[in-house]
Amino acid sequence: MDGWLGVLIMLVLGVGFAAVMIGLSVLLGPKNPTPEKLAPYECGMPAVGDARERHSVKFYLVAMIFLLFDIEIAFLYPWAVALRDLGWPGLMQIVTFFMILSVGYLYVWRKGALDWAPAARARNALRRGPRKAA
Amino acid sequence: MFNSSFDAVVPMLCVTLAALAAMGAEAFRARDEKMPIGGLGIIGLVGAGVACALLWNRNTSSFGVIVADNFGLFVTMVLVIVGILTIMFSSQVLEVDNLPRGEYYALLLFGIAGMMMMATANDLLVVFISLEILSLAVYVLTGIRRDDPRSTEAAFKYFLLGAFSSAFFLYGIAFTYGLTGSTRLDRIGAFLAAQSMSDNPLILVALGLLLVGFAFKISAVPFHMWTPDAYEGAPAIVTGFMSTGVKAAAFAAFARVFLSAFEPFSQQWVPVIWVLAAATMILGTVVGVAQSNLKRMLAYSSIAHGGYLLVGLVAANQIGKAAILFYLLAYAITNLAAFGVIAMLASSNDENEELRDYKGLWHTHPALAAMMTVCLLSLGGLPPTVGFVGKWYIFSAAVSSGYYGLAVIGMLTSVVSVFFYLRVVVMMYMSEREGPEPVRPRIARMGMVALTLSVILIFYLGILPTRVLDYAAESIATIF
Amino acid sequence: MDLRFAVQLGIIGLTFFMLINASAVLVLAERKIMGFMQQRYGPYLVGPHGMLQPLADIVKLLFKEELRPKAADKWLFNLAPILSVAAAFTAFATVPWGAETTFFGLLDDPVSLGVADLNVGVLVIFAVTSMGVYGIVLAGWASNSKYSLLGGLRASAQMISYELSYATALAAVILLAGSLSVREVVDAQSGYWLGFIPRWYVFLQPVGFIIYVIAGVAETNRAPFDFPEAEQELVAGYNTEYSAVRFALFPQAEYINMATMSAVATDLYLGGWHGPFLEQYGLGWLWFLMKVGLILFTYIWVRWTVPRYRYDQLMNFGWKWLFPAAVINLIVTAALVLYFNA
Repeated sequence: MDGWLGVLIMLVLGVGFAAVMIGLSVLLGPKNPTPEKLAPYECGMPAVGDARERHSVKFYLVAMIFLLFDIEIAFLYPWAVALRDLGWPGLMQIVTFFMILSVGYLYVWRKGALDWAPAARARNALRRGPRKAA
Repeated sequence: MFNSSFDAVVPMLCVTLAALAAMGAEAFRARDEKMPIGGLGIIGLVGAGVACALLWNRNTSSFGVIVADNFGLFVTMVLVIVGILTIMFSSQVLEVDNLPRGEYYALLLFGIAGMMMMATANDLLVVFISLEILSLAVYVLTGIRRDDPRSTEAAFKYFLLGAFSSAFFLYGIAFTYGLTGSTRLDRIGAFLAAQSMSDNPLILVALGLLLVGFAFKISAVPFHMWTPDAYEGAPAIVTGFMSTGVKAAAFAAFARVFLSAFEPFSQQWVPVIWVLAAATMILGTVVGVAQSNLKRMLAYSSIAHGGYLLVGLVAANQIGKAAILFYLLAYAITNLAAFGVIAMLASSNDENEELRDYKGLWHTHPALAAMMTVCLLSLGGLPPTVGFVGKWYIFSAAVSSGYYGLAVIGMLTSVVSVFFYLRVVVMMYMSEREGPEPVRPRIARMGMVALTLSVILIFYLGILPTRVLDYAAESIATIF
Repeated sequence: MDLRFAVQLGIIGLTFFMLINASAVLVLAERKIMGFMQQRYGPYLVGPHGMLQPLADIVKLLFKEELRPKAADKWLFNLAPILSVAAAFTAFATVPWGAETTFFGLLDDPVSLGVADLNVGVLVIFAVTSMGVYGIVLAGWASNSKYSLLGGLRASAQMISYELSYATALAAVILLAGSLSVREVVDAQSGYWLGFIPRWYVFLQPVGFIIYVIAGVAETNRAPFDFPEAEQELVAGYNTEYSAVRFALFPQAEYINMATMSAVATDLYLGGWHGPFLEQYGLGWLWFLMKVGLILFTYIWVRWTVPRYRYDQLMNFGWKWLFPAAVINLIVTAALVLYFNA
C-alpha cells in the first residue's frame, strides 16, 4: 500500500479490535459489584488515602532532560539522511552541537540529576566533598 | 552555507564559551571549593568587547541572519558593559545570599549571549530564538533565591506572562512570513517597499502582534503589568541586569525590525507607538511617585525610561536614532549602578529596600550615599550627568520631527520624576533614622570599584558626550 | 475496486491477523519455553501439547467480570488499553515483511508485502512506538491506585530514558542507508561481501545492534527491565486494577510490541527478507519470519535467564552507559561513512 492510507487502516483496525473485545466482555461477563471489589487493591487492607499525591521530582527531571535530548534526536534524523551531501563540515557541525550538549549532560550528571537512588547521591556527595577540599 | 564568515558571531561566541566554561566548572566543583567563575565571565565579556572593536565599521554578516553592523555592535558594547558591571556587583550578593554561583554566572552569560544575538539578528526567527534564550535565563535568575516566596512568585509571573507574549510574537512572525514569504528583515523590507499592501488588513495584524511581543519585553504600558512585581521580587542585582540588558537588547531588535523591515508602514505604526510612548511615560512617572519601596519605585522609573526610548523611535530621524543608542547606554549604566547600590546594602534576611531604610544613609555609608545621589540625579536627567544629555537628544529629536506633544509630555514627566528621585536623596542626607539601624552587610571592594567606574562614566558621558555620540551617529549611518 | 487495491487490502488484513496470532503464539511459546527451562511441561492439557491454551484463555477472560475501582477515571480507564493496543498495531504499519511481488504474474505492477511504504517509515515507527507509553501511563493514573500509579510513572520514565538510546542507535543505520524508508534500508542490505558474507548492517553496526536490542527490551518493558509491573514490589504495576479483557489487552500490546521490535531489528540490521536460496523463489518472507522468530526466542530466553535489575541500576545504565555509547557509535559511524565515501 502506498502512502498513509495503510497506516490509517491499521489504526482503525487496532482501535476497532480493542473496542470490540471490550464490548464483548461487557456483554458476556457477569455483573455483581460489591464495595470491596470496587476498592483499589492494597494487599487486602482497606485503602489509605488517595493515590494521586505528589510524586518524586525525579520523574519531572527525567522528563525534562529527555525532552532536551529528544529534540536533539529529532535534529539528527534529517542530518543522518543528508550526511553524504553535507560532508565533513556537516559532521563538524553535529560534533560541535554534541559538544555543547555534552556540557549540559555532564552538568546534570555531576549534579546528580541522573542518580536515582538516594544512596547513590549521598555516595557521590561524599566522594566529591573531601577529595577536592584537600 | 560555509563560505560566509563566522566573524559576526564572534562576540556572542566568546560569551557563550565563557558560559559553557562556567557551567562545566560548576559541574566539577567540589562543594566548598571557591572558583573564580565570575572572572571567567569577565574574560569572556572583555573578549566580546575586543571583538566588537575589531568588527567596527566592517559590516560583516554571518549566515545572512546575524549582521554585525555598527548599530548591533554599539548595543553589543552596551551589553558588554552591563555584563561586566553586573558581574562585579554580583560577587558580594552571591556571598551574602549564598546563591549557587556557577548556575548564576552561567545563566547570566547565556542571557547576555542571547541579548547580543538579539541585537544583531537580521531574521525574525533568530530574533525569536534569542528572545527565548535571554528570557529563559532571566526567568530563572529572577527566581534564583529559591527559598524566598517573593522571588519565586516574581519568577512565575514573569514566566507565565513572558511565555504568553512570546506566543504573540511568534504569531506575528507567522503572519509576516505568510504575507511576505520571508523572515529575513532585509527581504521583508524590500518586499513591502515594492508591493503596496497598505490595504491588506493582515499586515496590520502581523504588525500588531509583533508590536505586542516587543512592547511586553520593553514593558511599555499597557503591557507593563509584570514589571513591578518581577522587578521587586527578583534579587536587586538581577533586577538591575534585566531592566538594562533585556531592555537594551529588546529595543535594539525593536528598532531594527520596525525601522528596517516595516519602514514602509511607518504611517501605520507611528501613531500607535506615539500613544504607547505617552502612556508609558505618564503611567511610569505618576505611579512611581506613590511608591514607598525603592525597588518598586525604580521599577516604575524604568518603565518611564522605556517611554522616553519610544519617543526616540517615534521621532526616528537621524538625531532620534542616534539618541536611542546613546540613551540606552546612559540608562544602562545609571540604572545598573542604582540597583547595584540597593544590592550591596541588602543583607541576607532583609533586603533593606524600603525608602525609610535609606534614612540617614549619609551618616553610615557616605560614599555609597554620594554615588547613589549621582545615579538618581542622572536618572532624573539633571546636568551635568549623562541622563541629561540623553534626554536632551531624545527630546530635541522629537521637536525637530514635529512631535511637540510628546516632547512636552516627556519634559513634564521628567520634572515630576525628579521629585521622587530627590525624595530619596533628601531621605539619605537630611533625615535622621528613628529606631535601630538596619543590619547592613560588609561592602565588598569589587562592588565599590564597579560603582566608582559607573559614576566616572556618568560624569564623563555627561560632560564630554561628543565622542560617544559620534559613535552612535556613525552606527546608524550605515543602516536604516 | 481494482485488483491491485484488493490485494493490498488483503495484505493489510493478513498482517493484522498475523499480529493478533503472534501474540497468542508468543504467549504459548513463552510458557512452553519457560516450562522447558524450568524442567516442567508448561501448558499441555488444552489441545495437542496445550496448543489451544491461548484460545481457552481469551474465552475465559471474555466471561470474567469487568471491575473498575470506584475512584478510577471512567473514560481514561477504558481508553488506556485501547490506546496501547492501537499504538502497537499501528507501529507495525510501516514495517515491510517481504520483497515486492507480483504474486507470480497475477498483477501487472508489483505490490509490496507490508502495510504501508512511507518515505519516512523509520520516523513513523519511532513516533508510534513512543505513543505506546501513553496507554501505560494513563492506565496507571486512571486506576487511582498506588501500585498502578507507581507502575505507570516508572514505565514512562523508563521508556523515555531508553527511547534516547534506541533512536540514536537507529540514526546510525539511517546514516548508513541514507534513507528513512524501511524498504530502502532493507534493499541496501542485499548482496554479499566477498561472495559469502551477507551485507547486513549488523556486521557494520555491531555496537548499534546490541544497543538497539537492549533498549528494545527496555522499551517493551520486558525482563530484565520489567519494572512497570515488577510483581514483588508493585503487585502488577500499571494493570493492577484491570481485569477480564481490558487486562488481556495490555499483554497483547506488549507481545505485539515485541514482534514489532524484532521485525524492525530484522529489517534494519539483519537484512530483512534477504538471504540465500529462498529469495529466488519469491519466498524471502520466510527468511524474515525465521529471523524474527530467532530474535523473539532470544527475548524469551533472556527473560527466563536474567534476574530483574534494581530501578536505579536501570536508570544509571540507560543514561550513563547506553546513551553515551549510542552517541559515540553514531559519530564514529558518521566519520567512517564519510571516510570511505570520499
